Amino acid sequence: MNRQPTADALGLHERASATPARAEFQPESQLGSAPSWTEGKLDLRMQQQWFAAIVSTPEAEPAPVDERSAARLITPSATLSSLGRIDIYRQGYHARLIECLIDDYPVLQHALGEEAFEALCRRYIARHPSRAPSLNFFGRHMSELCRGEALPEPVFAADLAALEWAVVLGIHAPTAPSIGFEDLGRVPAERWPGARFTVNPSLRVLRFDYPVNAYLQGYRTDESPTVPGPRKSAVAVYRTGRSVWRLELELTMVTLVESLAAGATLEAALGEVQALLSDRSQEDAARLVSHCFQHSISSGLFSAVAL
Amino acid sequence: MANKFGLPNLGIGLGLRTTHYSTIIAEKPDVAWFEIITENYLRTQGRPLDFLDQIAEAYPVVMHGVSLSIGSTDPLDREYLGEVRALRDRTKALWVSDHLCWTGVAGKNTHDLLPMPYTEEALMHVVERVRAVQDFLGSPLALENPSSYAEFAGDSMREWEFLGRLAEEADCALLLDVNNVYVSSKNHGFDPMTYLNAIPFERVVQFHVAGHTDHGTHIIDSHIGPVIDPVWQLLAAAAQRSSGVPVLLEWDAEIPSFEETHAEALRAREFIGAAA
Repeated sequence: MNRQPTADALGLHERASATPARAEFQPESQLGSAPSWTEGKLDLRMQQQWFAAIVSTPEAEPAPVDERSAARLITPSATLSSLGRIDIYRQGYHARLIECLIDDYPVLQHALGEEAFEALCRRYIARHPSRAPSLNFFGRHMSELCRGEALPEPVFAADLAALEWAVVLGIHAPTAPSIGFEDLGRVPAERWPGARFTVNPSLRVLRFDYPVNAYLQGYRTDESPTVPGPRKSAVAVYRTGRSVWRLELELTMVTLVESLAAGATLEAALGEVQALLSDRSQEDAARLVSHCFQHSISSGLFSAVAL
Repeated sequence: MANKFGLPNLGIGLGLRTTHYSTIIAEKPDVAWFEIITENYLRTQGRPLDFLDQIAEAYPVVMHGVSLSIGSTDPLDREYLGEVRALRDRTKALWVSDHLCWTGVAGKNTHDLLPMPYTEEALMHVVERVRAVQDFLGSPLALENPSSYAEFAGDSMREWEFLGRLAEEADCALLLDVNNVYVSSKNHGFDPMTYLNAIPFERVVQFHVAGHTDHGTHIIDSHIGPVIDPVWQLLAAAAQRSSGVPVLLEWDAEIPSFEETHAEALRAREFIGAAA
């Protein structure tokens, strides 16, 4: 149950004013023929809507105008047609957003393979266009998308995406210094039962149908993991300082953390954990409960204790 | 103070990139200033701001945005502007810049710098919006000439005329990207010196230089690789027309080590001469 640091980059979809290098005009791309717009002059807004409609059209689809119509709005250059010039923007648009999703989901990309992942990204972009000035949260719908997609293992992919997204959220979440055993040492013994704990503000506890944290860790340690079979798992993701951690949780620990996070007293939370261990001897159960609590403290899951 | 806004000549700076964070924080290299990409630090309460706070404590910073969408026909996004203003105040950024472009319409953001039609209608629209943004920020906005790959058939003026008139009528500052001048001159077939000759240099508060990618039929403003000599020569020509304008290198893909990136930026000394 050791916690594992994310070996991710530094937490940005680094935006810039550059055009992605992938945004090369491909003369063979299928722009095809499409309806021309109606006659008449276009005002600025209509021009922008027209231009944006072409730019955001998936590259596998024909542009929604033909070359003749395009030339009414955009002049050809000495080397490129009107649609060819607009297509530079179309490819730049998709390339930039795909790069963003690759930043967020490198392990999902590994699991699906580059080609399938890129196809998934293109469907994502079509279904969830950005409406925010920042790309920091553009990828938030990936798990939901995976669950409904015809992927080989959609639930695994959805679980993995949820874990990777939790890491992104951990990067951007506020955090607070963790309390340790020395802080707890100042709590009078008689006040222990009524103590209430504040969890790290960045903490998220996720429950999965697949052991996706083990898969992710295998990827990070260059083990080329294969897609595992289903097995229930739970992971806490949280940030302390500049490190985002993934901590695999046993059911006892999930119960303890979720109970304390919901505002239960320590006595009540430990009682819930104890109840899970009814098949154990009293001594064994007490040892496991104690271990569970100590591990939650040493992992830095809590930021305050109130008496 | 050579520009009409009284903004300082910071010297030669670098675009702040995540791959260089650890070097900057650990080694505190001797860099005159950093330019941050505004949107990378919006809507986060986490690690990006931790790094930025530490760097902004130690170095002068300016903010360079990519989502203002000053040319869009959508309403100005006041929530976004409020976030920009708050970030400026937090970092004590010396100025805020963005691009002469639009990034989306009908509520969608393409996150690309889409080209403006250069018409009287568009000019009036952008002038009004620049004024509104400057009122909101309480400081001048510097607008950058973008690289572009398309020109509108209905254009009634060239980009340099549009930019010059915009700057005068909205009373805004300019960020002159000489690589963008070069890229657009090749893509649209004009003489870059014609462009420079039309710029009101007393309004220019910053220069950009960068690398690009030549695809034969057109050039992409990729910010990859070192700055090519013709772009350095354009910087020299721009520097001759101005006095004391800070220079910033943008390098956004296949980014080399901090030392190599900084060394490339410092090459600007060879071309800006007494203006450095």
